Amino acid sequence: MSLKTRAAKTSAPDKKTPLAAKIFLGIVSLYLLVPFLTTLVYSLFVEWTDVLPSGFTLRNYAELFTNSTFWLSIGRTLILCLVSVAITIVLLLLAMYVVVAVNRKLGRFMQFVCMIPYALQGVILSIGIISLYTGTGTILSNRMFMLFGAYTILVLPYIYQGIRNALNAIDANMLIQAAEMLGCGRFRAYVQVVLPNIVSGILVSSLLAESIVFGDFVLANNIAGTNYQNIQVFLQANMARSSGLSSAIVVIIFLVVAAVTAIVLKLQRSSQNR
Amino acid sequence: MAEISQTAAAPATGEPATAQVRPAKSRKWVGYVAFLPFLLVIVGYELLPLAQLVLDSLIGKESGTLGIENFVKVFTTPLYQQSIINSVWISLVSAVVGIVVSFLAARFAYESSERVRSAFTMVLNMMSNFSGVPLAFAFMILMGNSGVLTILGRQWNIPFLADFDLYTGEGLLVLYIYFQIPLATLLLLPAFSGIKKSWREAAIILQATPLDYWFKIVIPNLMPSILGTLSVLFSNALAAYATAFAIVMNNYALLPLQITSKFKGDVQIDAATGGALAVVLIILMVVCTIINNYFTKRASKGREII
Repeated sequence: MSLKTRAAKTSAPDKKTPLAAKIFLGIVSLYLLVPFLTTLVYSLFVEWTDVLPSGFTLRNYAELFTNSTFWLSIGRTLILCLVSVAITIVLLLLAMYVVVAVNRKLGRFMQFVCMIPYALQGVILSIGIISLYTGTGTILSNRMFMLFGAYTILVLPYIYQGIRNALNAIDANMLIQAAEMLGCGRFRAYVQVVLPNIVSGILVSSLLAESIVFGDFVLANNIAGTNYQNIQVFLQANMARSSGLSSAIVVIIFLVVAAVTAIVLKLQRSSQNR
Repeated sequence: MAEISQTAAAPATGEPATAQVRPAKSRKWVGYVAFLPFLLVIVGYELLPLAQLVLDSLIGKESGTLGIENFVKVFTTPLYQQSIINSVWISLVSAVVGIVVSFLAARFAYESSERVRSAFTMVLNMMSNFSGVPLAFAFMILMGNSGVLTILGRQWNIPFLADFDLYTGEGLLVLYIYFQIPLATLLLLPAFSGIKKSWREAAIILQATPLDYWFKIVIPNLMPSILGTLSVLFSNALAAYATAFAIVMNNYALLPLQITSKFKGDVQIDAATGGALAVVLIILMVVCTIINNYFTKRASKGREII
């Protein structure tokens, strides 16, 4: 640690943090951290009706971890995260093959449709799907179909960006042409030469997408509601009932997402250094 | 970004591609098959649902014919008028407050040492995830009817804290400002790296006051980034649902809440009104996106000249 700061100082001797900057950034950080820290403390004490909380306890966590509804909702959330992100990755990798190796002109169209969910976000997406499929009596009106379809669209912009940046970075088109000259088919070249080279690029954007699905409330609540409670809907349902239990859920959700974010940042930094 | 990379790659790939496609012309169609699954999902879960909402909005609730009946209703019913006004107002105020705080934060972070900056960025990255229902709950504990700060306010006689009502428009505003700040700062920070140190020296030599330097050099230079970020914040607040729903349920005139309650209410489903409200929201969001794209392009152009 001390070595690092010394190194930073020698490389940029004029960069000393001004006092005003320290104070301002400190206040902003405090403002951002206080709501979570309050929830953390709240979850660890029996009651907080005075200035200071009283009676340290892990009861809320014990209660949460023995609650089977909690584990079910965690399980559903994980299934939603993994399956929908996996579907989106496969769809995009297949479609990107066509853009890279068959017809570049489709790239524009793809970029356009992949950015629409980013501009519209959850509310519009979920009610559009509900309005289209509810009561049609087909398999498409199944809530699970609607939910997975919606999540697949929700994470599209993020995974698309990741895959496109990765493909641009390695110049996929040239790789495929080189492989073709050596007698390899285009699709085989894409699978065996291009894909292994973009795995790390896809990884970062997929993790980001996982954390978005994990944090989603709108789609889960609007489309599935209590039929298929994810962790956010579970939290919302418990909020009025037990604030102790809810504060523990909030802490758990935050820690999971924070861990994923930390991994993403670490992967991004190590790829930048390379 | 995309256009640049595409046009740059086009001349390099154009010739060999045409030369190689010729022998396998029949197989070219096979290549498109890989596009089909993507196309199916996009059509089924993105384009058709959007079309459905537009259709919903255009089929009159009473008359059952095509027309703008639903829009007339939306713009003349006080509840819906208020929803649009509240949504725009809360988004605008939270975006402006967010951008001012973030501008200062980004500026100070830029002037700080590497260590302070990376610690601050870490806080921003972590707390930008703290939104939606968990954020709403945290604020209930903090500022709700028996919240920690509310109790402190009562005991220490701070009327602002003691009488603060989280379950109103002002309460929502506080929450919205909270989730705008990390997002805005993360978006603005990179823009500051375009500010050259020599500009300040040049400005001082030319006898500019610090105020001149900030308002005539730095802020105009960052304007495309600032306005682009502002439109992102505005649309971010406009579409926010979870935070508001967790705090006020459907008992507040706000566009996302009203739209959702029309499709998933305890009362009857009213796709016509809901569709019209949804189209209003879509139009607002699309305008934001167009504004943002315009400024993002300008911001990157400005950087290329330097």
